[in-house]
Amino acid sequence: MAIDRRWGIALLTLVSVGVVAAGIFLLDPGRRADSAAAAALPPQAQRVTVKDLLGREVQVRVPAQRVILGEGRQLYLVAALDTDNPIQRIVGWRKDLIQADPDTYSAYARRFPAIADIPTFGGFEDGTFDIEQAIAQKPDVILLNIEAQRATDDARYIEKLAALGIPVVYVDFRHHPMENTEPTMRLIGRLLGKEARAEEFIAYRNAQIQRVSGAIAAAQPARPKVFIERIGGYTEDCCLSFGNENFGKFVEVAGGTNVARGMIPGTFGQLNPEQVIAANPDQVVVTSANWEAYVPSGRWIGVGPGADLAEARRKLEAYTRRPAYAGTRAAQDRAFHAIWHQFYNSPYEFVAIQQLAKWLHPALFADLDPDATYRELHERFLPVPYQPGYFVSLDGGASPAAKAAP
Amino acid sequence: MNIAAMATPAGQTAGYRALVRRKRWLLLGFLVLTTLSLVLDLALGPVGYSVKEVVQAVLWPDSVPLQLRVVVWDIRLPTALMALAVGAALSVAGAQMQTTLNNPLASPFTLGISAAASFGAALGLALGVALFPSFAGYMVPVNAFVMAMLSAGLIHLLSVKRGVTTETMVLLGIALVFTFNALLALVQYFATEQAVAAVVFWTMGSLTKATWPKLGVTCLVIAVTLPLFARNSWALTALRLGDDKAASFGINVSRLRLQTLVLISLLAAFPVAFVGTIGFVGLVGPHIARMLIGEDQRFFLPASVMTGALLLSISSVVSKTLIPGAIFPVGVVTSLIGVPFFISLILSGRGRSW
Repeated sequence: MAIDRRWGIALLTLVSVGVVAAGIFLLDPGRRADSAAAAALPPQAQRVTVKDLLGREVQVRVPAQRVILGEGRQLYLVAALDTDNPIQRIVGWRKDLIQADPDTYSAYARRFPAIADIPTFGGFEDGTFDIEQAIAQKPDVILLNIEAQRATDDARYIEKLAALGIPVVYVDFRHHPMENTEPTMRLIGRLLGKEARAEEFIAYRNAQIQRVSGAIAAAQPARPKVFIERIGGYTEDCCLSFGNENFGKFVEVAGGTNVARGMIPGTFGQLNPEQVIAANPDQVVVTSANWEAYVPSGRWIGVGPGADLAEARRKLEAYTRRPAYAGTRAAQDRAFHAIWHQFYNSPYEFVAIQQLAKWLHPALFADLDPDATYRELHERFLPVPYQPGYFVSLDGGASPAAKAAP
Repeated sequence: MNIAAMATPAGQTAGYRALVRRKRWLLLGFLVLTTLSLVLDLALGPVGYSVKEVVQAVLWPDSVPLQLRVVVWDIRLPTALMALAVGAALSVAGAQMQTTLNNPLASPFTLGISAAASFGAALGLALGVALFPSFAGYMVPVNAFVMAMLSAGLIHLLSVKRGVTTETMVLLGIALVFTFNALLALVQYFATEQAVAAVVFWTMGSLTKATWPKLGVTCLVIAVTLPLFARNSWALTALRLGDDKAASFGINVSRLRLQTLVLISLLAAFPVAFVGTIGFVGLVGPHIARMLIGEDQRFFLPASVMTGALLLSISSVVSKTLIPGAIFPVGVVTSLIGVPFFISLILSGRGRSW
C-alpha cells in the first residue's frame, strides 16, 4: 500500500512537471515573438563596428530593430530620430523618464498609448538592470549611460551579454553635455540607421548654440555673476549648486560667471549660504520643477511643460527673501529666474542656454526667442506638441546689463 | 591618591575633595574650550567680517548693516548654536543609554534610532509619504521624528517584558539598525536618482538645515530632560554598580530605566530629525567624558554635555573651512575628527572606563 502511494506521487510529479514544461514552451508569447522578430530581420541588416562614448569598439548589427534604453530619458534623442513612432524599437527601458519627467512621459503616452506596455526596470544605481529580463527581450543593442559603467563592469554584464551576441553601447548627455551630446546623437543615429536625421538634429543644435556663443565671442560683454540654486524647493537645505559642468557650464556658455565654479569640485555640491552673500551674484537662477509628489506644498517652482507661470512667479518671489541672497545685487535688482530642472539631463539643453543668455544679456539677445526655438525644435524633430512654461522671471526684475544699456 | 591618604578617614576626605576639585577644573576647561569654539564658529565665514563687527552684530543687531545682520543672525548663529545643542543632546542621550543599558556600545546610532529617523526622512524625500499629513510642510523632520520615536517605543515595549536583560535590549537595537537600513535601501531602490542623492545627503547630516524654531525645540528638550537626569543622578550612578546593588539601595530599577529611556528617545529623536544623522557624537561624546571625568553622574552628565557640544562645534568650524565656500557634511567631519582623539584616549589607557 505504502509503496503504491509512493509510486503514485512520483508519477503525478513527473506528469505535472511535463505538463508545466510543455505549457511554458507552447504558451510563452515572448519566446514566439522573439523568434518571429529574429526571422523578420530586415535583409539590409549588416554588422558594423562603432565607437561608443567610452571609446570602446563595439560590433553592432544595424539598423537595430530592438533597443533597450538603459535610461528612459534617452527617449529625448530617439524621438528626434524615429519621429513617426519613437517607441517602435524600444523593447525595454529604465523608468527614470516616468519618474523624473512625468509631464513629457504623459505627452508621449497621449500620442503613443503603447508606451505603457514597454517593460520597465528600476534600480537605484544608474543603469543597473535585470540581465535576464534584458536577454528575454532579445535586443539588438543596449544603450547605457556612462555612469552605469562601474555597476555593469562589476556584474560583468558586458561579457555575459556578449556571449549571447547582445552588444552594449555607452552614451552620455549628462556628464559632459557640451562635448558628448553631439557624438551621442551621431552614434544613436548610426545604430538606428538614421544618420542623415541625426546630422540634421546636430546641425540644428549647433546652430542654436552658435547663436549664443557666437554673439558672446563677438561682443565680449561683461560677464555677470550668476548663482544657480539647484533643485530649489526639493530639500530644506540652501544653496545646492553646480560646479563647472552641466548648468555651471551652460551659464559660462551663455556669457555669465558661475559663482560656484572652483568651489564645488565635481558637478554637484553645496555652497555655504554665506558664500553666496560673499560672492554677491548679479543674478540668481533656480532650477526647479513640479515636485508636488515629493514635497507637497513645498517651495518648489512648478516650471515645466504647460506650467502655470503666474503661480510659478509668485513662488519665485519668496526666494528673494532667503537669507543667502540678502543684500546681494540680485536681490536689489530682483534678478531672479526659475528654469526647468530637467534641462540638466536633456539634449535640448541648448534652449536653456539661449534662455540664460537672454537673462544675462537682454540687450545683446533682444532678438533671441528661446520659446520659439523650443517650439521649432518640437515642430521639426519631435512627435509631441510644444507646451510652453519652462522659464519664468520676476515681474519688474531688471538685469544690470539692461540698466547699463541706455 | 597615595597610600597615606587612603589610610585615614581624614585623608580619604581630603583625597575625595581633591578629586572633586580636579573634576570641577576639568568641567571649567571644557566650558572655556566650548565657548572658544563657538566664538570661532561665529567669527569664521566666507564674508570676511572682523570679530568686532560680528560681536557688534550679536549684541546690537539693529546698529549694523542688513547684510551683516543676516549673515550673523540668519546664517552663522543658528548653525553655530545648533551644533552645540545637537552635540549636547546626542551626547547626553548616548551617555544615559550606556548607563541604563550598562553597555559601552549603546548610542542613538547603534540602537536604531538614527537609522529609523533616516528611513522616515527617506520616505518623505523619495516617495513623498507624509506620516502626519497635517504637518506636510515639515514632512521630512516630522517623518524622521515619528520613526525615531517608533523605534524607541519598540525598545521600551521590550524592556518592560519580564526576563528581558539589558543585553537583549542592545541586541534588539542592533536588529532595528539592520531592519531600518534594509528599509532605507529599499526606498532608495525605488527612488529617482535625484531623490537618492537627497536621501544620501540627508543621512550624512548637515547643520545648514538649522533654523531658530528648530534650535528652540532642541533647547527646550534639553532644558526639560537635563534637570530630570540631574535629579536622578545618584540613582543612575548606582545603576552602574549593577541592577541588584542599585535595587538594594532602594532604587526602583525598572521604573528608572523606563523613565530614562523615554527621556533619551526625545533627546535623540529631535536633533536627528532636524539635522540628519550625526550619530558618532552620541557614541563617542560620553566615552570621552567618562574617560576624563569618571562615572559619577554629577560630573559625568555635564561633561557629556560639554564633550558633545565641543565635538560638534569644532566639526562645524572644520566643515565650513575644509573647502572654503562649500559645505562639507558635518557628520563626516565629526567622525573623522572624533575617531583619532577617541582612539588615542583608549590606547593611552587613562582611567579604565568600562
